Amino acid sequence: MKFKKYLTLLLLVPLFAFTLHKYYISLCEIEYVEEQKSLQITLGIFINDLEFTLNKDYEKTLNLATKQEVKDIDAYYLNYLREHFKISINNEPKIYDYIGKEYDNDIVRFYLEISNIKELKSIEVTNTSLFRDFENQQNIIKIKANNSNKTFYLTPNNVKGFLNY
Amino acid sequence: MKKKLILILSIVAVSTSFYGQEIQQPKEKQQAHYNVSKFKQLNQELPTPNKQHTASGAPGYEYTQQQVDYKMNIVLDEDNNRLFGEETITYHNNSKDNLDYLWVQLDQNMRAPNSKTNAIKGGGPDALYSASKFTKLFMGKPFQGGFNIEYITDASGNNLNYMINSTMMRVDLPKPLTSDEKFIFNIKWWYNINDYTAIRGRSGYEPFPDGNNLYIIAQFFPRLAVYNNVEGWQNMQFWGHSEFALEFGNYEVSITTPKDYILNGTGVVQNPKDVFSKKQYKRYVEANTSYDNPVFIVTPEEALEAEKGRSDKTKIWKMYAENVRDFAFATSRKLIWDAMAVKLNDKTVMAYSLYPNEGNPLWEEHSTRVVANTLKVYSEHTFDYPYPQATSINAKQQGMEYPMICWNFGRPNAEGKYTERTKKGMIGVVTHEVGHNFFPMIVNSDERQWTWMDEGINSFVEILAEYKYDAELFPMKGKPKDITRYMSGDQDKISPIMSQGGTIFNFGANAYAKPAAGLYILRQTIMGPELFDYAFKTYAKRWAFKHPTPADFFRSMEDASAMDLDWFWRGWFYTTGNNDIGIKEVKKYYVTDKPTERAENMAKAYGITVDQLPASLYLVSEDSKEFNKDLKNKNPEDYNLLNDYIKKNFSSEEKATLKAPKYFYELVFEKPGDLVMPIIVEFTYEDGTKERKQYPAEIWRLNDKEVTKVFPSSKAISKITIDPDEQTADVDITNNSWPKNKETKFEKFKRNQIKG
Repeated sequence: MKFKKYLTLLLLVPLFAFTLHKYYISLCEIEYVEEQKSLQITLGIFINDLEFTLNKDYEKTLNLATKQEVKDIDAYYLNYLREHFKISINNEPKIYDYIGKEYDNDIVRFYLEISNIKELKSIEVTNTSLFRDFENQQNIIKIKANNSNKTFYLTPNNVKGFLNY
Repeated sequence: MKKKLILILSIVAVSTSFYGQEIQQPKEKQQAHYNVSKFKQLNQELPTPNKQHTASGAPGYEYTQQQVDYKMNIVLDEDNNRLFGEETITYHNNSKDNLDYLWVQLDQNMRAPNSKTNAIKGGGPDALYSASKFTKLFMGKPFQGGFNIEYITDASGNNLNYMINSTMMRVDLPKPLTSDEKFIFNIKWWYNINDYTAIRGRSGYEPFPDGNNLYIIAQFFPRLAVYNNVEGWQNMQFWGHSEFALEFGNYEVSITTPKDYILNGTGVVQNPKDVFSKKQYKRYVEANTSYDNPVFIVTPEEALEAEKGRSDKTKIWKMYAENVRDFAFATSRKLIWDAMAVKLNDKTVMAYSLYPNEGNPLWEEHSTRVVANTLKVYSEHTFDYPYPQATSINAKQQGMEYPMICWNFGRPNAEGKYTERTKKGMIGVVTHEVGHNFFPMIVNSDERQWTWMDEGINSFVEILAEYKYDAELFPMKGKPKDITRYMSGDQDKISPIMSQGGTIFNFGANAYAKPAAGLYILRQTIMGPELFDYAFKTYAKRWAFKHPTPADFFRSMEDASAMDLDWFWRGWFYTTGNNDIGIKEVKKYYVTDKPTERAENMAKAYGITVDQLPASLYLVSEDSKEFNKDLKNKNPEDYNLLNDYIKKNFSSEEKATLKAPKYFYELVFEKPGDLVMPIIVEFTYEDGTKERKQYPAEIWRLNDKEVTKVFPSSKAISKITIDPDEQTADVDITNNSWPKNKETKFEKFKRNQIKG
């Protein structure tokens, strides 16, 4: 059996995009680079799943990562990220810069940055991406800062990771 | 005297490591341990070989296998969505054992109201419930699925005792069935067919807005469980997740459908003149020689016409299949049928696709061509496809395999347009499911125990077949890299590949992608295609139409290649470890003829003076006290010792080919990862040229954390990269380059963005 369709049968969404990958995770890597006072964020999400969700949200066929992709796709991405991916630094919500995105096989990887952070005392990451449509979705957050590494596994029941230094 | 001294020195050289340890020996008593080497052989993990499953990985001379033949009459009731069946089963006991009872699989019972499948599922409420699901789950109106057994009788019509335990049924034999005897019995049954788009399932029907159904019927009759040399009866319950294995046998099946239905299934239609129109029959025969392009047997226009009607008459499809492990069929009045002949060495087999007009134009463009390509590529890597045909059925949301027939998803939108992604998904699933004809339909592993043996092995060959079909859409590059996200994840949520299919967390990554990536690494990087392909083919041929176990695969791959791969199976299949190799340090060395401090110490330790050392060359590290800048300009040939030796021992032709390296590098590799892997090193020289070197995984056999290697070179190295093509599933590549790449991936991306 092809696993990709099997999982979708567990869902109640009848019109499902044709997914190629076989598991449901996103990976976010966050690094605080003290010398640059910068928080560097990369966030990789499976294109198929994101396309399914965005198509539904906008009632459009966005054709991600194909020749027919809509022209202002970055606006759609940023809009989605702003709503579902949030960061607070030192107990203060922060707006990140959208540096860009790249397509890497089945994955879209976003590059985001928060600059002018003189000191990182605490960080809170919320990532609810894809939770609405994919019940097995797991959003992994890896944080590298102040000489320590910490990983969070966010699920629909647990959408936030918080670290105090 | 001189000879003796050299002998002593060679002992000295060997002994220095012991000498070093003596000094460092800690005062506290160290704990003893078992053999913890990653290269320890797998003797304790693998079952002891015997005359049935041999040490070489081949079936032994006492290997036995049962045969089960079926004669069935099936009736499809489209008005009530019911399936009725009468079957006569002939069970051949080829084992040496006496059997008191037979176990029969009743997969449909997974959908029975009293099924325990839902009882073992944990978790909170669903995100949303359809009205039908809500009534089924909470309002006491479950789907009335499951087998209704009307009778089970012996050949003379006497009732047989039976007992049903969920999805398994024990049929008690009147007297023990002895070796080489056969037992004939009959079962009559019926069940309600599920709408699989509402209730999940690998079979059922898909309702269309035009009022028609497309039936994909499988796991639909009581089927004999496997009785083999390793597990006895394979009667582990069917919980709905991990699949199944069955005995091989011959099937004679008559299926009654409405008169305007089209049907194909496992085997070959025996009465084509009765079931096709005259035109269709003519095209059915002509297709047998259509090697270049698919041709229609049932045209889109005929299907469009048929789906408007609803005949109340019936017709009977007579199917026959030889030496298959199961039987399935698909049927509807909506079906188009196209066909293409495929040449495999000296034989021709048929590639078929059946799909509704809703599947077009995607399906007529690709399905049958993909079936043909899959048969060709898989045949090259295993054995020539032994069955007469392979069929791909277009079924919404499905991807499921049966012998000679499989269900595959992928349809254009309502306007008949499809994206590259839809096309890629459809080609991928057709390749995968048709590929399953080889693993596990023919190389018949126990899917319920070892999901990876059919899914993982199949997903691996699938990569090669997809690449052959469309290299641009399915690039091979980056294949092992994709698994690193899973392998570097939370250890609490990773199971070893060698886990029973129902007990793994991340089914797709664990049973499909990781074993496929492992085999890909074995083929491309560790063994090389030539050694790998021969061994892989050996396994496939040895176990075609038989029941292999994991040990048979592991052993065959080593047996046919002379490669000890126990370390690879142990790490990749038996543990949850991942690979991370880095370059820790690079030191430059220069040649001198003056004894170094190390040489002096060596002499001292064995009670001789430095003068007593034979004339030798020494390597001096750039950061040592003995180093001076003059050494930088010296070539090894500048030392008389080397020059004289070369003059004395080599002819002028030989001398011309000798070239002393100018630079010596000491490379220190570190391995934070748990797995052992070959080290692939790319050297970039100052003149811009590059060179690759691959050290076998065995380089880690004496030190699992760090190894050092001396690399002589005639050119200065400016850059070193470990695993430059990311072919070993290295989970952290930040330690893969020297000089250390200070720029992070993020910064590189940002710089390129600004430039762009």
